[in-house]
Amino acid sequence: MVSQNCLARICLPCRRLVYFFPALLVLIFAACRSPSSARPPDYLVVGIESYPLQLDPRYATDANAVRIGNLIYNSLLRADQHTRLQPELAAGWRMIDATTYVFDLRHDVKFSDGRPLTAADVKFTYESMLDLKNRSPKRGLLKPLRAIEQSGAYQLRFHLAAPHAPFVEQFTQGIVPADSVAEGATNYQSPAGSGPFRLQAVEPGEKVTLQRNPYYWDERPPLPGVVFKIVPDALVRVLEFEKGNIDFMQNDLEPDMLPWLKNNSAADVAAYAGTTFQYIGINLTHPILKNVKVRRALAYAIDRESLVRHLLKDTGTVASGVLSPLNWAYDDHAPRWPYDPNRAKQLLDEAGFPDPDGAGPLPRFRLSFKTTNIDLRRRIAEAIKEQLQQVGIELEIRSYEWGTFYSDIKKGNFHLYSLAWVGVMDPDILFQIFHSSSVPPNGDNRGRYVNAEVDRLLERGRATIEPAERKRIYGEIQRLLADDLPYVPLWWWKNVIVKKPSIKNFTPYPDGDLISLKHIAVQ
Amino acid sequence: MLLLPTLFGVLTLVFFLIHVIPGDPVEVMLGETANAADKAELRESLGLNRPLLTQYRTFLLDFAAGDLGRSLYERTSVGTIIGARLPATLELALCAMIAAVLISFPLAILAAVRRGGRIDRLALLFSLLGLSLPNFWLGPLLMIIFSIQLGWAPVSGRGGLSHLFLPALTLGLGMAAILIRILRASLLRAMTEDYVQTARAKGLPERRVWLKHTLRNALTSVVTIMSLQFGSVLAGSLITETIFSWPGLGRLTVQAIQTRDYPLVQGCVLVIAVSYILVNFITDLVYKLVDPRVTYGE
Repeated sequence: MVSQNCLARICLPCRRLVYFFPALLVLIFAACRSPSSARPPDYLVVGIESYPLQLDPRYATDANAVRIGNLIYNSLLRADQHTRLQPELAAGWRMIDATTYVFDLRHDVKFSDGRPLTAADVKFTYESMLDLKNRSPKRGLLKPLRAIEQSGAYQLRFHLAAPHAPFVEQFTQGIVPADSVAEGATNYQSPAGSGPFRLQAVEPGEKVTLQRNPYYWDERPPLPGVVFKIVPDALVRVLEFEKGNIDFMQNDLEPDMLPWLKNNSAADVAAYAGTTFQYIGINLTHPILKNVKVRRALAYAIDRESLVRHLLKDTGTVASGVLSPLNWAYDDHAPRWPYDPNRAKQLLDEAGFPDPDGAGPLPRFRLSFKTTNIDLRRRIAEAIKEQLQQVGIELEIRSYEWGTFYSDIKKGNFHLYSLAWVGVMDPDILFQIFHSSSVPPNGDNRGRYVNAEVDRLLERGRATIEPAERKRIYGEIQRLLADDLPYVPLWWWKNVIVKKPSIKNFTPYPDGDLISLKHIAVQ
Repeated sequence: MLLLPTLFGVLTLVFFLIHVIPGDPVEVMLGETANAADKAELRESLGLNRPLLTQYRTFLLDFAAGDLGRSLYERTSVGTIIGARLPATLELALCAMIAAVLISFPLAILAAVRRGGRIDRLALLFSLLGLSLPNFWLGPLLMIIFSIQLGWAPVSGRGGLSHLFLPALTLGLGMAAILIRILRASLLRAMTEDYVQTARAKGLPERRVWLKHTLRNALTSVVTIMSLQFGSVLAGSLITETIFSWPGLGRLTVQAIQTRDYPLVQGCVLVIAVSYILVNFITDLVYKLVDPRVTYGE
C-alpha cells in the first residue's frame, strides 16, 4: 500500500510535470520520427492493401510478398505475360530424361551485394526449403524432387523421384545467396537478390522501399526505385491517388470506385484478363447436393452475366471452368450452363424436389452459403441468394472472418461456399482440387468429390511430359468436371490497373505479377 | 497489488481463447500443398501437438523468463515486432487525448456557465453528433475536407506532426463528445454545492470560482472516463488505424488473429493489458492531484 504522505511527496513536485508530460512525449515522438511520407525523388509509389509478411522467397506466400519478391529475386525460369515459362537465370535448360532437368546458368549474374550467383546458391535455396526445420510453406511443392546435383559452378541437375510434369513450375522459385539465414530472416534483413531492384528500407505496416540494383545483369531499370505504400482502406487509396501520393494501383479496389475514377480523375483505368477463378464450392456428401441435377439447377439459376455487369462493374469474365482461356490447357468444348431459371426449376422437379406451393413463399429446400465478411463478398452472396430464391431454393448466408471460414470449409462443414483460386498456372492444380486422395488435410478436395475416371486422368496428366498429350488429357478432365459440376464456376477476375497517364511501358500479367515495373518510365 | 493477478488472468484467458477458436496456424504456414505427415511434423516441432495445459505451462515459464516467443510468420521475436508498432500507437493515443481535452474542456465549461443558452445547445448538439458519427464515416469525411479540399494535412500514413492531425482529430472528436457531457453535468452538480456558494459569498471573482472550485471538484468523474478512453485507444483503434494507414497495435493484433499467429496475439494482448494497468495506476495518482482528500489505504 502506498502511504498518503509518500504519495503527496511524489505528487506535489510532479504536479507541473503531469500537465506537460503528454505534450512533451508527443514532441519527443514527433521529433524522433522523420517524415516518412516524403517520397524519394523520381521513385514510383505503388499503393497496396496489406503489409507483406515475409519477403524471403523461400517463405513468401501472400500475394504482395510474392510480387515484391519477384522484383528483388530472380528464378531459373519466369512466366511471361502469356503465362509461358522463359529462361531467366538459366542460359539454357533441357530434360535429358523424364525425371532429370539440366540447367546451365548465366555467368554474368550478381547479387545486389556484388557477389556472383552460382549453382551453389541455387542448390542451397532449394535444399534450405526442403529442410523441415526451416518450416518453408513451399516444402510440399518440392516433394517430387529426389536430389540436386551440382556439376561445376554454373550447371545443375534436378533429379525427380518419378516423372512429374508440373514440377517445372517450381523453377520459378526466387534464388537467395548460399549463406542466407533461415531463422530470424525478417523483412528488415531479407537476403540479397539478383533482381532489378534491391531492398532499401522496410517500415513495418507502412511501406517497403526498393531501389535500383546497381549490379543488375539485364537492362537497367529506368526507375531509381519503387515505394510500396500500405494503405489498407480502398477508398483512402483512391484519395491518395487523387492527391498524387500514389502513382499506381493494381486490384483490391471496390468495383463501384472504378466508374468514378474514370470520370473524375486523370487516371488511366484499364482491366485486363486474369487467371483468378471465382467459384461456388459444393459439399457433395450433402443428401440434396450429391444429386447432379440439383447442382446443374444451381448452375442454371445463377445469372453470372448480370452479377459481373452490376456488382463487378465488368471486372470479371463469366467462367466456364477453373482454367481460363489464357491457360495453355484450356478446353473450349466443355459444357456451359447459361442462365435459364425455367430449366433450373424443371431439373429440381426431376430431382424430386418440387415446389411445395408454386409461386408461394415455401422453398423446395434450404441450404447455407458460407462466405467471408468482406463487403463485396457479402453483396455477391446476397445477389446469389436472390437469384436462387427465384427457383425455390432458400439460402441462409453466413459470413465469417477468414480464419473461421477457412477452417470450416477445410473440415467440410458447409453446404455451399464461395472462394477464388489465385495464381492458377499448371492444370495439375485440378489434382489438388478434385482427386479423391486430395480430401483435406491431404489437398483441397473440400467438397469430397470422387470420380474414378477423373482420378485416372489426373494421375496420367501429371505423369505425362508431352505437352500436346497433356492438353488432350486436361481437356477431357475439364469436360467431365463441367458435366459433373463439383464446383459452380462463376467468373475469372480481371486485373484492374489504375495509373497516372505519365507512366509508360507497363505490361499487365494475367497473374498480377508486377515484374514489368522494371521497364516502367515516367514521362 | 492486483497487477499480477490481472496479468495472469488476461494471459490465461487469451491463451485458451486463441487456441480454441477455429483455425490452425500449421495449415496457414505450410500452405495447401503440404501433406498430413509434414503438417504433423511441423506441429510437433512447434509443440502444438502437446496437451494444451503443457503448452500453457511452457508459455507461462517462457513469459516469466521474459520471452514472448517468435512470430510464426514474420519469423522474428514478438518483442521486436510489437516494439516497432508501439510508438505509433502511443503517439496517436496521446495526441487523440490532447485533442479531446482541448475540444471538450472549453466547450463543457462554456456550456455549464451559459446553461440553457446558445453555446450550451451547440455543445450538446456537438456532443450528440460526436457520439453518433462512426469513425469509419468521420475519418474519410475529415480526410476529404482537410486533405483533399483544403490541403492542410496529409491524407494518410505516419510521419511528422502533420500526419497526426487527422487521425488524432477523428479519435479525439469521439472522445470529446463523451467528455463534454460528463464534464458539463459534473460542473452543474458542483455548482450547487455549499462551498461554491461560500466562495461567491467571499467575493471571489466568478472566473476563479469556476476554474478553482467548481472545475476541480468536477474533474474526478472526468478523469475516470478519460482513463478508460485512453486505455481503449492504447488497445488499438482498428478502424481509425485502418482508415489512416496508421501502423499501430490495433492493425497488428487483427492481422495476428487472422493468421492465427498465437505468439504474436499473446504478445499484443499482453501489451494491451499492461497498458490498461499502467493507465489505471496513473489515474489513481491523478485522483490525488485533483482531490487531495483521496487516500490510498494505510
